[in-house]
Amino acid sequence: MRALSVTGLVKTFREKSGDVHALGPVSIDVPQGSFLCVLGPTGCGKTTLLRTIAGLEIPDSGSVELMIRTNGRQPVVGYVFQQGALFPWMSIYANVEFPLSARGNIDRITRRQRVEAILDMVGLSDFSSSYPHQLSGGMQQRAALARSLVMQPDILLLDEPFSSLDTRTSQDLQENLRNTWKEAATTVVFVTHSIEEAVYLAGEVVVLGHRPGRIVRRQTIDLPDPRSRLSPEFTEYLVSLRRTFEELVEEPE
Amino acid sequence: MKNRLPGLIIPLLLLLWWILITGEGSDTLLPSPAEVFSILVHPFRDQISTGSLIWSMTVSLVRITLGFSLAVTIGIPIGLMMGASTHVRKFLSLMIEMARPLSAIALLPLSIILFKSETLSQFLGMSYLRYQKHLLNEMQLGMIFILFWGGVFPIILGTIQGVRSVRKLHLEAAKVLGARKTFVFRHVMIPSALPDIFHGLKLGIGRCWMVIIAAEMLPGTNSGIGYLIRYSYQLSRYDIMLACLVIVAIIGAFFSKGLEALGEKSLVLRSRER
Repeated sequence: MRALSVTGLVKTFREKSGDVHALGPVSIDVPQGSFLCVLGPTGCGKTTLLRTIAGLEIPDSGSVELMIRTNGRQPVVGYVFQQGALFPWMSIYANVEFPLSARGNIDRITRRQRVEAILDMVGLSDFSSSYPHQLSGGMQQRAALARSLVMQPDILLLDEPFSSLDTRTSQDLQENLRNTWKEAATTVVFVTHSIEEAVYLAGEVVVLGHRPGRIVRRQTIDLPDPRSRLSPEFTEYLVSLRRTFEELVEEPE
Repeated sequence: MKNRLPGLIIPLLLLLWWILITGEGSDTLLPSPAEVFSILVHPFRDQISTGSLIWSMTVSLVRITLGFSLAVTIGIPIGLMMGASTHVRKFLSLMIEMARPLSAIALLPLSIILFKSETLSQFLGMSYLRYQKHLLNEMQLGMIFILFWGGVFPIILGTIQGVRSVRKLHLEAAKVLGARKTFVFRHVMIPSALPDIFHGLKLGIGRCWMVIIAAEMLPGTNSGIGYLIRYSYQLSRYDIMLACLVIVAIIGAFFSKGLEALGEKSLVLRSRER
């Protein structure tokens, strides 16, 4: 069963210096409950792809279809930005509560329970009254993740959410995210330029080539949990995808 | 180390003032700091039959409160609308840019023609107050109008600036989190705009204070601290005149610092994000 279907997506940005063909055409089917990583070099249009899926960009042609069965209600899409995008004037609690209060149909007690449960899950319970600038980068990203998870999204989109963090923090959060995905049984589309991150997280990796971004390879990652970055199979995927990456660079534009 | 210079300037100025007056062969008309001080320590004493210093201050302060409140209640909504909607901004900006350079003082004759010398007590139909010494009798509508005029433009411009400086990232975040327009306006745009709104308010109240003092010096008034400055000058009571200037300076600084303190927290939160 498909959660999301992207068909023939094309996006061109009209700049003063001329048109920039950023993406496509790209077509992807994302099965329900899967973890898809979109992998590609900087500037290949992977962020544009994600933003278009989220409705932040309007495509020139092609379509994005959410096909999740939700018993009649609107499917909920979560989105995590590269850099938190937390509201600096709100406490962590208020930030995480934001999507719930914005919907306006959830009572205060339920909101409180859900926010507290999520903060507990990401380990930020003690910081609920702190402001974003008082937290480290890793904690800010966890708060941003919590803000999306609290909506109980049917599909979660993440745009290089851990790329600005140090390796150790980044790996911790990757592990957290993979566990969360398994527990919540949600569909995840994760954009990254890190091959290792993609192999660690994904059930399937889609590699985008240089601008305009097109799919050059699809690779299923068949590794048992818990995944070890040191296992030979992990390294095999890593090397194989790195080869694809290097071929991309050599290919003349 | 903390900079001590600001604290030193005032005593130094006082010393200079003292030397100027008591110096050999000094022929200045300036009264000594002690004379001015002796006026300031008797705020309830009637001065040259205009009422006490407290009365004059109260009249000026109530006038500015009325004019400034009007400027705030009209300026902020206009600024919000102009900041949020390109249509409204295009529609109103030319009008505002034309109106803005007309200084409030330049409009005083016009306001006298428009409002005559009607006061708030007459406007409210409280004519029984006519022959009493009452605050409402001192609230000329024309003066409130020019105070409003003086304060409203910095408030409008500050609010527009604030609404327009909201970060695109925060608007997008609100959108993907499922917030509708009115919710975004209330919980994202306004908090983002607060530091600039407060800055506009600070400039606005400074303008109002300048306008009221100048306006009270023009004909048609016989109360308020500005009036007292002019009247004491005419009677060569420079001690009272200087005492009034001191009061004006202190109240002006108080307004400014008060609004600055109010805006501080929102500014700190907005600028510290990373």
